Amino acid sequence: MEAFTSLASGLSVAIQPMNLLFALIGVLLGTAVGVLPGIGPALTVALLLPITFKLDPAGSIIMFAGIYYGGMYGGSTTAILINTPGESASMATALEGNLMAKAGRGGPALATSAIGSFVAGTIATLGLTLLAPYLVEVAVSFGPEDYFALMVVAFVTVSATFGDSPVRGLTSLFIGLLLGLIGIDILSGQSRLSFGVPELYDNVEVTTLAVGLFAVGEALYVASRRHIHEEKLEAVRGSLWMTKEDWKRSWKPWLRGTAFGFPIGALPAGGAEIPTFLSYATEKRLTKHPDEFGKGAIEGVAGPEAANNASAAGTLVPLLTLGLPTSATAAMMLAGFQQYGLNPGPLLFAEQPALVWGLIASLFIANAMLLVLNLPLVGLWVKLLAIPQPWLYAGILVFATMGTIAANPSPVELIMLTIFGVLGFLMRRFDFPIAPVVVGLILGPIAESQLRRALSISLGDPMVLLQSPISATLLGIAVIALIAPFALKNLGRFKAVED
Amino acid sequence: MSNAQPVPMSRVQPRTHIDVAGVVIALLLLVLAGMVWWDMTKLQILSPYDLGPKVMPIVVAIGLTLLALGNGVGALQGNLPARDSLDWKPIILILGGLAALIVLIAIGGGFMIGTAILFATTSAAFGRRAFLTDLLIGAVISVFVYLLFGKLLTLSLPAGPLEHLL
Amino acid sequence: MIHFRPSLSRTLIVAATALFATSAFAQSELKLMAPAAPGGGWDQTARSMQQVLMQSGLTKSVQVTNVPGAGGSIGIAQLVNNSKGDGNQLMVNGFVMMGALLTNKSPVTLEQVTPIARLTAEAEAIVVPLNSPIKSVQDLVTAIKADPSKVRWAGGSAGGVDHIAAGLFAKTAGADPTKINYIPFSGGGEALAAILGGKVTAGISGLGEFESQIKAGKLRLIAVTAPTQREGMATPTLKDQGVDLEITNWRSVVAPPGISADQKKTLTETIDKMVKSPAWQEVLKQKGWDDAYLSGDEFAAFLKAENDRVHEVLTSIGLVKS
Repeated sequence: MEAFTSLASGLSVAIQPMNLLFALIGVLLGTAVGVLPGIGPALTVALLLPITFKLDPAGSIIMFAGIYYGGMYGGSTTAILINTPGESASMATALEGNLMAKAGRGGPALATSAIGSFVAGTIATLGLTLLAPYLVEVAVSFGPEDYFALMVVAFVTVSATFGDSPVRGLTSLFIGLLLGLIGIDILSGQSRLSFGVPELYDNVEVTTLAVGLFAVGEALYVASRRHIHEEKLEAVRGSLWMTKEDWKRSWKPWLRGTAFGFPIGALPAGGAEIPTFLSYATEKRLTKHPDEFGKGAIEGVAGPEAANNASAAGTLVPLLTLGLPTSATAAMMLAGFQQYGLNPGPLLFAEQPALVWGLIASLFIANAMLLVLNLPLVGLWVKLLAIPQPWLYAGILVFATMGTIAANPSPVELIMLTIFGVLGFLMRRFDFPIAPVVVGLILGPIAESQLRRALSISLGDPMVLLQSPISATLLGIAVIALIAPFALKNLGRFKAVED
Repeated sequence: MSNAQPVPMSRVQPRTHIDVAGVVIALLLLVLAGMVWWDMTKLQILSPYDLGPKVMPIVVAIGLTLLALGNGVGALQGNLPARDSLDWKPIILILGGLAALIVLIAIGGGFMIGTAILFATTSAAFGRRAFLTDLLIGAVISVFVYLLFGKLLTLSLPAGPLEHLL
Repeated sequence: MIHFRPSLSRTLIVAATALFATSAFAQSELKLMAPAAPGGGWDQTARSMQQVLMQSGLTKSVQVTNVPGAGGSIGIAQLVNNSKGDGNQLMVNGFVMMGALLTNKSPVTLEQVTPIARLTAEAEAIVVPLNSPIKSVQDLVTAIKADPSKVRWAGGSAGGVDHIAAGLFAKTAGADPTKINYIPFSGGGEALAAILGGKVTAGISGLGEFESQIKAGKLRLIAVTAPTQREGMATPTLKDQGVDLEITNWRSVVAPPGISADQKKTLTETIDKMVKSPAWQEVLKQKGWDDAYLSGDEFAAFLKAENDRVHEVLTSIGLVKS
């Protein structure tokens, strides 16, 4: 296979000692910034561009790859340990991951996340090596109507995050949809629900909402109940390492997460959040331990983490084959190519094979390096939970606000964080599920704008949703997903009768 | 669908007592729905085949109204989950710390002092009684972050008197 | 096109060592505001200026601050309200801010700031999918005259330079600009995918967004909106093809209101020296920005004329109420 020989020569570039050093610096920096919500890999790469200019192209691009994957790791680590998702793509991880950590199972949660990321990253990078030219054809043919249909599928699966009351779950979801309305409507340029406050024109930032609801809200809630319910955190209960049972329960979610993450990440408007939700919902539906969801189920960490990492590799498909930057980080990497006078685009593979394959190979290296660095550190990370509770929560709040300030040094952003914190507190107190709010904020605006784009393009004909084969198939899946649980329930009833 | 019926949970309960907080939540949802609707009336369709910016607000407003009804019925039947008593002191401490940080940044006092205060008040909210020590710890953390992000990555963190010293 | 510039990095390192060399500073201290988040175009302009100003020894210290939000509306409000009369403060801005200020009904306008200089400009490019029946500007003019709403444009955010250019094109072609079917996409990649996938009639965006696709033969370039062709690339202008329209996405620097004539002169001279330095020319080449230097009264007049034009188009599109 030509691809493999190219990859092998790429690997030989990437394992030169200097390049390994750059990869190491990259993953360390990436992990550090991934930990802070609001500061992501894109921002870091942007700020490092002028510095790395002095390095040679291979070295700096390898470093960027390290930052990219390192950022994903850092974001998940804080999501699991302190319920503060560093990136919006780690939100699904926080749901079960933090519950596991609180139950003393932070070690296995971190381990399944690290190994799952490695597995997913490796498979997805292989996919990038072998499938990129074919996948990109599909990706480009994906039109707004198809994205809308994908959003419909995502909405149908959202109910997995609802908890036990549909009314409460939907209430949370609609609060999220309402928050999604705030700001300038991308298609008409008019502002909605902004009340003349310019800071609101730019829409509600997903990380601000997630950190406010999750981290600040929880700090308030736990503090308000200390007098009756002392929260006891045991850093480690049982094995620090994954047990045989954990492995058995993790490997399928890893693979399924990869299957969601890679193709959706390769879509120009796919993103990393949607595959993580789809994976979470799927794992919740397929698990043999449904009772553990909501208490810390390992499948709920393994799946989304794999999806998250696979989508990062997926993003590189349009970037490397077409020069299409489809995420903020990809856009910054593009700028990185450009500063060396390299023109990313359809010709890059042909003109600069050494560099492209060097980058792909360095993704493998970065992934392996993160695994090697993180697994021994699991023990140390979990010790974080042994920090006295006052300092732990004080630290969480400092981190949450610091990330917000660094990304946008305006008091308004902090006021929003505080308001979302209070909202998170009230929702916990009155037993409304938190996750659907964030899901609504992410999915609502995408669904709306893609539907409106589809109709503008079809000159107002709604039939476009059924005429596109991709859209029709996805809508079919959505209908099945909606009906299947009821059908299965009835089936279950028959079985019960037979018993 | 958004008008899912609330499930009557306990039929054994002979007398239902109204949950006041639940009624307030339902009313708040109704207010939000009204706000979305009112905001929507000011928008207009600008492009010939665009569905327009009004459709989504209408969907959200109707959904919120139905959910207000759903929540309201639940509250009137009194079948909301039980709640524990609430200790306001720690909440005020944490929110006070956040407010101090916001005000300090707004008036140009820099983020370091604010961050130190937030660290100390949150720590106090969780029962520690060493305010000055915690203030110091918070300050050390913020200096560290300032050096990392302000100096290394040249991000413009809100600066005040302390930041100018570094 | 691949060109490595090993000599450049060496130049920069040499220049960096000159950083601490003493020289007479006309402007010893400068605060440079990018009214956007780190990483974007205005931020990159500000940080490149910082690099050049300090390395060339024109200014001892340059501090970049980011005030993101609402297309620069928040930044300019801060400049006008908090920095009045401050001769050490500059703000980067550009074409996009005009549209944002008008559509956001900002209480602060560009008339309140002190114009210093226009620095760079990028041409807009109009492209069509390869299999499109449209082969030339005249085909596009015919199509848009027949029914402006059937010509589907893909481009950047509503009210931005792409949208304005599409509106101006329709108007110049003799069609009704209120009826254009302009579909804003978020992010360059998404719009590009829609054009490559043949979902829309035409795409309009900065030439840089499309350049590599055009060179690879995946998109057909119909015209650029710049006044002249670009060096080293076949880029027919609209004017060459009988459509009298010129529009570029320019970036400039402005100072706060209320600064003295002396302060204005010093700032203008500092920027003048910066633009003429070899280091700045290197930056332009490296980032692919076109030089569009214009300063003093000419720039002020340009700014005013652009503002009137943008106001008129946005009103006819319906984004600004008269």
